[in-house]
Amino acid sequence: MIKFIMRRLFGLVPMLFGITLISFMVIKLAPGKPVMLQYSLNPKISLEEIKRLEKIEGFDKPLYAQYLNWLSNISRFNFGRSIADGRFVTQKIAERLPVTLTINILSLFLIFLIALPWGIRSALRQGSLFDKISTLVTFLLFAAPTFWLALLLMQLFCIQLGWLPISGITSLDFEHLNLWQKFLDLGRHLFLPVLVSALAGFAGICRYMRSNMIEALRQPYIYTARAKGLPENRIIYKHALRNALLPIITILGLSLPGLLGGSIIFESIFAIPGIGRLFYEAAMMRDMNLIMAEIVLVAVLTMLGNLIADVLYAYVDPRIRYKK
Amino acid sequence: MQDKSLKIGIFIIGLFVVMAIFAPIISPYDPSAIDQDGLLMPPSFKHFLGTDTLGRDLFSRIVFGSRISLGIGLVAVGIATLVGLMLGATAGFYGRRVDTVIMRFVDIMLCFPTFYLILAVAAILGPSVFNIMIIVGLTSWMGVARLVRGEILSLKEREFIQAERSIGASNLRIIVRHLIPNAIGPVLVSATLGIGGAILLESGLSFLGLGVQPPTPSWGNILIESKSTLGVAWWITIFPGFAILITILGFNLISEGLKKKMGN
Amino acid sequence: MENLLEIKNLKVDFFVNKKLVPVIDGVSFCINKDEVLVLAGESGSGKTLSALSITKILPHNAIITSGSIKFSGSDLLVMDEKQLVDIRGREIAYIFQEPTSYLNPVFTIGDQITEVIMLHQNKNKESAIEEAKELLSLVKIKEPKRVLFDYPHQLSGGMNQRVFLAMALACRPRLLIADEPTTALDVTIEAQILQLLLELKKTMGFSLLFITHNLSIAKRIANRICIMHKGKIVEEGSVEKIFDAPEHFHTRELINAYEKIGKL
Repeated sequence: MIKFIMRRLFGLVPMLFGITLISFMVIKLAPGKPVMLQYSLNPKISLEEIKRLEKIEGFDKPLYAQYLNWLSNISRFNFGRSIADGRFVTQKIAERLPVTLTINILSLFLIFLIALPWGIRSALRQGSLFDKISTLVTFLLFAAPTFWLALLLMQLFCIQLGWLPISGITSLDFEHLNLWQKFLDLGRHLFLPVLVSALAGFAGICRYMRSNMIEALRQPYIYTARAKGLPENRIIYKHALRNALLPIITILGLSLPGLLGGSIIFESIFAIPGIGRLFYEAAMMRDMNLIMAEIVLVAVLTMLGNLIADVLYAYVDPRIRYKK
Repeated sequence: MQDKSLKIGIFIIGLFVVMAIFAPIISPYDPSAIDQDGLLMPPSFKHFLGTDTLGRDLFSRIVFGSRISLGIGLVAVGIATLVGLMLGATAGFYGRRVDTVIMRFVDIMLCFPTFYLILAVAAILGPSVFNIMIIVGLTSWMGVARLVRGEILSLKEREFIQAERSIGASNLRIIVRHLIPNAIGPVLVSATLGIGGAILLESGLSFLGLGVQPPTPSWGNILIESKSTLGVAWWITIFPGFAILITILGFNLISEGLKKKMGN
Repeated sequence: MENLLEIKNLKVDFFVNKKLVPVIDGVSFCINKDEVLVLAGESGSGKTLSALSITKILPHNAIITSGSIKFSGSDLLVMDEKQLVDIRGREIAYIFQEPTSYLNPVFTIGDQITEVIMLHQNKNKESAIEEAKELLSLVKIKEPKRVLFDYPHQLSGGMNQRVFLAMALACRPRLLIADEPTTALDVTIEAQILQLLLELKKTMGFSLLFITHNLSIAKRIANRICIMHKGKIVEEGSVEKIFDAPEHFHTRELINAYEKIGKL
């Protein structure tokens, strides 16, 4: 087990290298001079000024040298400053990360809370009306664009019914509220974003749980459990469920890029100050340092998510934990 | 059931393909033509899906938008499939070092939330239909690569490949003539599913303003207006979204149907 | 001699594509107290399904359409699930073909044995563990204490079959049904398991229904043999009768197959 973790940790090194390399190349795709790109919004800048800036940023050096230089900088968490306001991009990201993570964790929680029992029920009643309806619902959710669902829900809850605020994460008078009211206010603001983000991931996990459960119920050890005289409930909820749940842990890691990617869209729709919206603004302004920093960050987050899921899975599955 | 899903899927997609091809004939108005008296008109006999904030006919815009969405979906998936097929086949066939390097690359690419990568590149290269096709294509080939590699690894051990090898066929011949055609089934299933995914990505990108640029209509960029007309003009939200939903549903149904058909 | 189990005119159908396909077509046989009855036949002849029918642990798409199964006088087929649950594992126990896949991979050996003890004997965890240890020594496992904490994948097939036997015999059943319990094992292990089975039968005094396609095993252990073919019992008799004067052509086929293997 320890050997397994060590090997996985060691495997992170080439992954990290690859992630930074790809992020770097993405930025260098840009035609023309990078400084021109960044300052193209500023018409007053002179040619000499550009040359000077290029030297400062090291753009006159060959590509590999630029990459190594950047790599050594980011290894010290120096991702440079944002062109929007001159602040360190790490600082800007750090401010906004908690919101995004909170929403994603809450929605992940919501997904599992609903999708797992739902999938199990579908599996146990395979072919029933409930199963057919849930197949239809999951198919529709698979096909519906997240932002469209967000717009529809906004239309319903914020405008037609007027129950929920339309954007942001706090109301204007947030400062003057007491603790309970603050909590309530946050909840009202976060409800739709969390719901929308959960809807997007729900269908996949529901289907996955369903097929896992059906698969587990077909295994030979289920016959054994029945032959032993166990009641049906124990067979389903002990012998089959344990086996069907294990692979779900891997899905936890795999659903991370989808959730983080989705953050861009729903954060810009609901005007939520998270890293998704920050990235969108950076992309619109071509704020290169910020773009690079965020790409590296989300990739590393995903990588760590996968690693944790792998290790957890290895821990809970005795076939991996105790390799012969 | 399997037969039905394939049929329904093909029917839906067929309908949209016809719509895309005959867009100029089907749409009652020019998609950019502005009806001065008819800003934000609800559905009526004159404009039966209503008009947008500039008074353009929504139905015509959706009909023309199908060209963009289907086009981008097809081309992007074409690129993704080609890249995935080549890299996956190479990895599976040669194995060892080559396999390790390619699969590591796949792992690394999978770490990037696709939307971040796409948004960054779209922002840098500038949004255009052509760029979006390429970007979406180049960021969604990993699934195909894994699939093809797996298929090839299992096919490689089969007798007919061994026989071919024993009579001295070249590697390229074996890959192109035998391995790829045999692996094509599952690739087709994932490609149809991929078209839906690509259309979804395009619509999201266009919705954020970094995709297809107005006045060219795409289902994603029509929906931009719905943010500002929420509660005022429900038709602008409902219809383009519905077009996306139905199209993707169609591709997913075809994919599901194909998968079941091959399973039998 | 007294009948322990008496099956009369058992018919089982499979649901395939909404149609009923008969797989067991009127099977009748009985097992006497203390007897070893071998049910022999090629794969697909309905042996396993007959065995699973006895306590109604059939696959979901199989239905018993007619017949009666009397176990020490009472008909199992008319019993409800509650009554059956009390008989399974307590009065009638099973061991299966591939012990490793018939044991649950995510529970320890100890968990799986104590589960059946606690279920049927109302014992607490501690005494169940003690009991499990004794059972493991009974089936000649050398380090019962350690094996209790092992998972199935950590043990060999032969070991797992011993574990399975321990689990099946935990409640001193009156009938043990062994469905090809040695088919997946090496010949030397097979001999060990068979010997163990006969020894335990002597000391614990259960009746044995042994299912196999291998007549050499039948010859070694059986008191009586039933030959099954295409869902029917085509011949029944003592070992001598079956081997010396086989009546049915299929019996002769099976004997020929056995003799050919014997010569190798």
